[in-house]
Amino acid sequence: MVFDQLISNFKLGIDYALEQLINGINIGGIYALIAVGYTMVYGIIELINFAHGEIYMLGAYLAFTFYVMLKLPFPVAVLLSIFSCMLLGIFLEFIAYRPLRNAPRLAALITAIGASLFLQNLALIIWGGIPKSFPELTLPDYFQSPIITIYGSASISLLQYNIFFITVFLMLGLHLLITRTKIGTAMRACAQDKTTASLMGINVNRVITFTFAVGSSLGAVAGILAGLYYNIIKHTIGYVAGVKAFAAAVLGGIGNVPGAMLGGFVLGIAETFGAGYISSPYRDGIAYAVMILVIVFRPSGILGRKQSVKV
Amino acid sequence: MKKLLSFRFLILISILAISAALFAAGCEKKMEPGPEEVTEDLGPIKIGFAGPMSGDAAAYGEIIRNGIMMKIEEINEAGGINGRMMELVVGDELCDPKEAATIAQKFASDEEILAVVGHVCSSATLAALPYYKDAGLPAVSPTATNVDVCKKSEWMFRDVYRDDFQGEFMAKYAKEVLGLTTVGIFHENNDYAIGLMEAFKKGAEEIGLEVVGVESYVKDTVDFTPQLTKFKHLAPDGIFIAGYYQQGGLILNQAKKLGLITQFMGADGLNNPKLIEIAGEDASSGFIASSPFVYEAAGGEALKFKKNFEKKYNGMTPDWMAANGYDAVGIIAKAIEECGADRAKIRDCLAGMNTADKGYKGITGVTFFDENGDCLKPAYVTIIKGGEFVAAEKQMF
Repeated sequence: MVFDQLISNFKLGIDYALEQLINGINIGGIYALIAVGYTMVYGIIELINFAHGEIYMLGAYLAFTFYVMLKLPFPVAVLLSIFSCMLLGIFLEFIAYRPLRNAPRLAALITAIGASLFLQNLALIIWGGIPKSFPELTLPDYFQSPIITIYGSASISLLQYNIFFITVFLMLGLHLLITRTKIGTAMRACAQDKTTASLMGINVNRVITFTFAVGSSLGAVAGILAGLYYNIIKHTIGYVAGVKAFAAAVLGGIGNVPGAMLGGFVLGIAETFGAGYISSPYRDGIAYAVMILVIVFRPSGILGRKQSVKV
Repeated sequence: MKKLLSFRFLILISILAISAALFAAGCEKKMEPGPEEVTEDLGPIKIGFAGPMSGDAAAYGEIIRNGIMMKIEEINEAGGINGRMMELVVGDELCDPKEAATIAQKFASDEEILAVVGHVCSSATLAALPYYKDAGLPAVSPTATNVDVCKKSEWMFRDVYRDDFQGEFMAKYAKEVLGLTTVGIFHENNDYAIGLMEAFKKGAEEIGLEVVGVESYVKDTVDFTPQLTKFKHLAPDGIFIAGYYQQGGLILNQAKKLGLITQFMGADGLNNPKLIEIAGEDASSGFIASSPFVYEAAGGEALKFKKNFEKKYNGMTPDWMAANGYDAVGIIAKAIEECGADRAKIRDCLAGMNTADKGYKGITGVTFFDENGDCLKPAYVTIIKGGEFVAAEKQMF
């Protein structure tokens, strides 16, 4: 039965494949933005920041609050939301993770899970149990959706187009930040070896704070884009997106930033093709199956490097 | 050696103690509620309402609860039932079968609750059924439409029609009134939507309406773009959505974003103002849904109810669910008044309302039950125009 579906879907042709590819890239871009946050933090302090998914969720909620409830202009609402999430990320690091810097890794992991649960329930208390959505007609024009045809009968909406460019632009920016700036080099140095980096005069604490700030800002943007694209915000979206983005980060090689970006896109495309060519209830299963296959054949991820044990 | 022995002994004792406790608790639940004590001061009559008060389906719970409260307050203002005031106990089960079972157990073991209005979603109702049956607690669902709901228990009644009727009705309407030749179906993976989808499919096959594709989704899905893209390429004349307003709204919204233009149709679950809010006025305009009840068609008492509801609840427009909830309370109140404030007596009274004259005359028309507890009521068609659900011009009976 699954095969009949597959075959009949293939018959739909290349326009259909192209459109699904675009859907996949869109959702993949959003996953990628969240995944880089996970991977940067892991690269430096070897902690899986489970609360990162909640930053994504709060980014969406805050933008909604500023825009719909406080009636601020859209760009202002977005910037305020990003800024707040950045502060929240820094605050989280300072309160929950820094005190455990020298404790066993398990302690920090449990703290991260605790922070995640705390933020989820905080959101539930503040905004209530009823899901929220952006009122469409009041959004600025560039997020309304006239349709652009690209090939045959394949067409995308302006919103998808915008999301794509925003995610690509941000990821290029991040790449430049990490490879061409002083702070970026400092980040890479800390990821290699914290002790030596501090011996070289790098303020490791400041670098870590900066990493959290950048990761959280990108996570907030991802949340806002997802809120606009899917038009639903509720306190549980952080968990789902977080798990998938983490899987994407692992898929691409945990600790590797281009890997996380690649992993995000791969996962998004796999998920969408699974839903589009096989069946929607299987979409998550298919995405994770892809991830498992990659890890089995390349344990350190697509772009990851084998960790050599230093003597 | 001695230490090991005493440790094992402790474990044994604790296991025995726990089993004893569980056994005792289990026994307590199985006892039938005892006869009412004959005293002067009997206290308020409590009925329960089980529905989603939070989560994706919260809008249903809120609006039905409001409808229920209106009837309860009306009854209390008129002096209550045989002098006793009515009280409502609300249980939030999030439309989830597991939670519904918990709430059902809670209601069943509270002896003061004489009847339940609920549940709202078919899957939840089916999960709660066995508990009401075991405890002998009658329930009237204002909204559960899955075919099996009343068949499975003689303690379960409903004042809304069934999905086999509704699904075939919509298929017929699609072909004969809307003139569609091809149609696609979107459905959620739950009892309600699968039953409705099967009924629609059967109806469509019987009249020669071609079903080009069936797509399913699980609860909590937010991304419908891959499937909507598929429908875009299959290009059916219409798409029938079997599901609840949260997902329905997202489907409409995302379809518009993708440029999918087709006649979207739905059933009772989508007939809620929140759908329009989620989808946006633009994306939801022209959406057609079947409804068990339409205020304009019912006239008089119904319109009065609508006006009072809007006044009481700050301009919130009541939908068919609120009206059904209102009448469900009325039905239970009639049973209590005529047969007595006792669970088994209420149930027998409800079962006795089996013809139109013995039925309950409420704002949704006359409700009477067949041998299963189902009721026969006509279906109406509504369309979204100008940001709200209004009766469609062409009705089909």
